[in-house]
Amino acid sequence: MDIFFDRLFSGLTAGSLYTLIALSLVVVFRSSKTINFAQGEFALFCCFIAWWLTTKGLPIIVALIPAMLVGFLLGVVTERTLIRPVRRRSETAVLIVGLGLFTGLNGLDGWIWGPANKQFPEMLPSGDSDYFLVGGARLHYDSIGIFLIMLLVVGLLSLLFNKTSLGLRMRAVATNAESASLSGVKVGTVLSMSWGISAAISALAGILLVPVLPPNELDLSSFFSILIFASAAALFGGLDSVKGAVVGGLGLGVAESMLNGYATFLGGSLQLTVALVIIVLVLVFKPTGLFGARRVERV
Amino acid sequence: MTTQSADREPRAASEPSDAQPITPAGTTSPVRKHRRRLPFVIRRNSRSHVGLIGVGVVVGLAMVLWGGGFGQFNQGQLTRVMIYAIAIAGLNIATGYTGLVSVGHSAFFGLGAYTTGILVVRHGWSPEATIPVAFVVCFVVGLVVGLPALRIRGLYLAMVTLAFGVAFPEVIARFSDLTGGAQGLTIRRAMLRPPSWSGFSLSEKGQWLYWLCVVVLILVLIVVHNVVRSRYGLAMMAARDNEIAASASGVNLAVVKTSAFGLSGALTGVGGSLFAMYLGSLVANDSFTLLNAIALLTGLVIGGEATRFGPIIGAIAVVYIPYYTSDLGQGQAAAVLFGAALIIIVFIAPEGLTGAFFRVFRRVLTVIPVLRKPQPPAD
Repeated sequence: MDIFFDRLFSGLTAGSLYTLIALSLVVVFRSSKTINFAQGEFALFCCFIAWWLTTKGLPIIVALIPAMLVGFLLGVVTERTLIRPVRRRSETAVLIVGLGLFTGLNGLDGWIWGPANKQFPEMLPSGDSDYFLVGGARLHYDSIGIFLIMLLVVGLLSLLFNKTSLGLRMRAVATNAESASLSGVKVGTVLSMSWGISAAISALAGILLVPVLPPNELDLSSFFSILIFASAAALFGGLDSVKGAVVGGLGLGVAESMLNGYATFLGGSLQLTVALVIIVLVLVFKPTGLFGARRVERV
Repeated sequence: MTTQSADREPRAASEPSDAQPITPAGTTSPVRKHRRRLPFVIRRNSRSHVGLIGVGVVVGLAMVLWGGGFGQFNQGQLTRVMIYAIAIAGLNIATGYTGLVSVGHSAFFGLGAYTTGILVVRHGWSPEATIPVAFVVCFVVGLVVGLPALRIRGLYLAMVTLAFGVAFPEVIARFSDLTGGAQGLTIRRAMLRPPSWSGFSLSEKGQWLYWLCVVVLILVLIVVHNVVRSRYGLAMMAARDNEIAASASGVNLAVVKTSAFGLSGALTGVGGSLFAMYLGSLVANDSFTLLNAIALLTGLVIGGEATRFGPIIGAIAVVYIPYYTSDLGQGQAAAVLFGAALIIIVFIAPEGLTGAFFRVFRRVLTVIPVLRKPQPPAD
C-alpha cells in the first residue's frame, strides 16, 4: 500500500506541474484561440533568468519575482509585436511564428548561458528528512508545496476571471471578441494581458518544475516533453477550461505514475508515446475535451 | 496538343522581343507602352519556353557536374544539401501542397534512416536496396499518422505531429536491441561499399553517394512535379484552400489527406535512408529530435511552401547556415537564426524565397498556358 501512496504522491506532484503549464496554455487559448507552441520555451527562458540571478547571489525565492516579471513582459511583447499582426492572416502563420519563437528562444538561451546543463536550486525544502509518513509512504514537503501553489494559482485565476473587471473583459473577449470590441472592451489590451499572465504562470511552473522532474537540471531540451504532457492535459480537460486543466493535469500525472509503476511492459520509457496516444484519442473522439465549450463553426 | 500549339507558334511570340504587342504608333502614352513591354509573355510548351527550360536543365547539370569534382568535404556538404532537399520535398507535399502542417517529420527522417541502418547492419542488405523499403515503411507509417488528419485540422494536427516527433527518440530507445538505443547504431564503413557495377571503389564512397543522391533527388523532383500537376495534386491544393468547397466538388478528403501524408512521409523517409548512408552512425537523440523537425520546416518555409524548387533553396539554408555560424554564440546561433528567419519570412515573404523570386520574375517574364479548345464530352 505504501508503494501505491508513493506513486500517488509523485503522480500528484508531476500532475500539479503539468496543470500549471496547461493553465498557461488555457489562458492563451481562451483569448487568442491558439496553442502557444513556445510556451515551454517561455518557461525555459525565465528559468535561465532565475538561475542567472541565483548565481549572482540572490536566493531563488527572490529571483522568482523578476523571472515572472520577465515572463510577463515576454508574453505581452510577443503578443503585441509578433502574434497580433499575423493573427488575422491564417492559423498557419501563427503556428510558424510560434515555432520560430520556440527554436529562437531555445537557441538564445544556449547562446547567452551556454548549452551545458545547469544545477538548479530548489525553492521548496527538499532535504532527505523533509517529509512525513502517510500510510507508510513519504510525503515530501516540496510535493505539498507544489500542490498548494498549484491550488493557489487556480484560485487566483478563478478570482481574476470571475471577480475582477479585467477578468470580465477577458471572458467577454473569449466568448465573442467582436461583440466585446463593440461594447468598448479594448481587445488588444486583453490579449496582451492574457499572454503576459500566461507566460508568468509558465515561469513559476518552470522554476518549481526543473528541480523536481527528471533530469533535475536546467537543460535546453527540458521543456520539449513538458509541453507535450501539458498539451495532452489541456486537451484532455478542454483547452478553454481552467477546471479541465486541473483535472487533466492531475489525472495525467497520476496515470503516468501508475502506468510506470504497474504496467511494467511499457518499460517506464514510453511516457511521451502514451501522451501522444492520449492527444490523438481526445482529438479524434472528443475534440472539446472533458469540460471544453463546444465550438460551432460557420461554413 | 502538339499540333495545336505548333500552329499557334508564329503568333505566340517565340522570341521575347516578339511579345511586344502590335499597337499603332503614337496612340499610346509612354507609361502605357512601358507597362506593356514588361512582362514578356510566352506560351507554355512554345519553342522559347522549352528553350528556357533547356537552359535551366543545362545550368543545373553543369552545377551538378561541378559539384562532382569537389573535394571530399565540400562534396559531403552538397550531399547533405540534397538529402535535406529530398526530405523537405517530402514535407512540402503534406505541409505546402495539402496544408497539413507537420512538426514531426524528423520522425519519418529517422524512421527511414533506421530502416536502412537495421537492414544493412542486422540483415546484411546492400545500402541502396534499402531505399525502396524505407519508402514503403514510411509510406505505411505516414498513412497511419495521417489518419487523425481526417478529424483534426490546423493547430491540433500540428500538436499531434509535434508529439509524434518528440516521442520518436523514446520509441527508438525502447527497442534498443534492434536500434542500438542510446548508444546508437553504427554502420561499419565496409557495409557501405558502393556496388561493383557503379565502378566506384570503397574509398570513393563519397563520390558514389553524391551521384546516388543526385539521381534520387531528380527522381523525387519529377515525382513531386507530376503529382502536383495531376488531378490528385489539384485535389490536394483544393483540400488545403477550402476543405468544404473541395469536398462539395467531389474531392475525397479522406483519401487525399491520408495518401498525401503517406507520400510525404515516404519521401522524407527516403531522405532519411540516404542520411543513414551518409552519416554511418545513427543516434536518435542527436539527429532525429524535435529541433531537426523544426529545421526541416524552417527549410521549407525559407525556400517557399508549395514551390517546386523551394526545398532545394531551403536545404541549402538548413545545411550552410549552421556551418557558417558554428563559431558564433556557443554553437547556438543557427537555432536563433532559424527562429528569426521563420518569423521574418512570415512577416515579409510568406511565399518564401523561391516564391518571392518568382513573383518578381513574373513581372519580367510570364508563361501563360496554351489555350485549348473546349471539347464536347465523349458521351
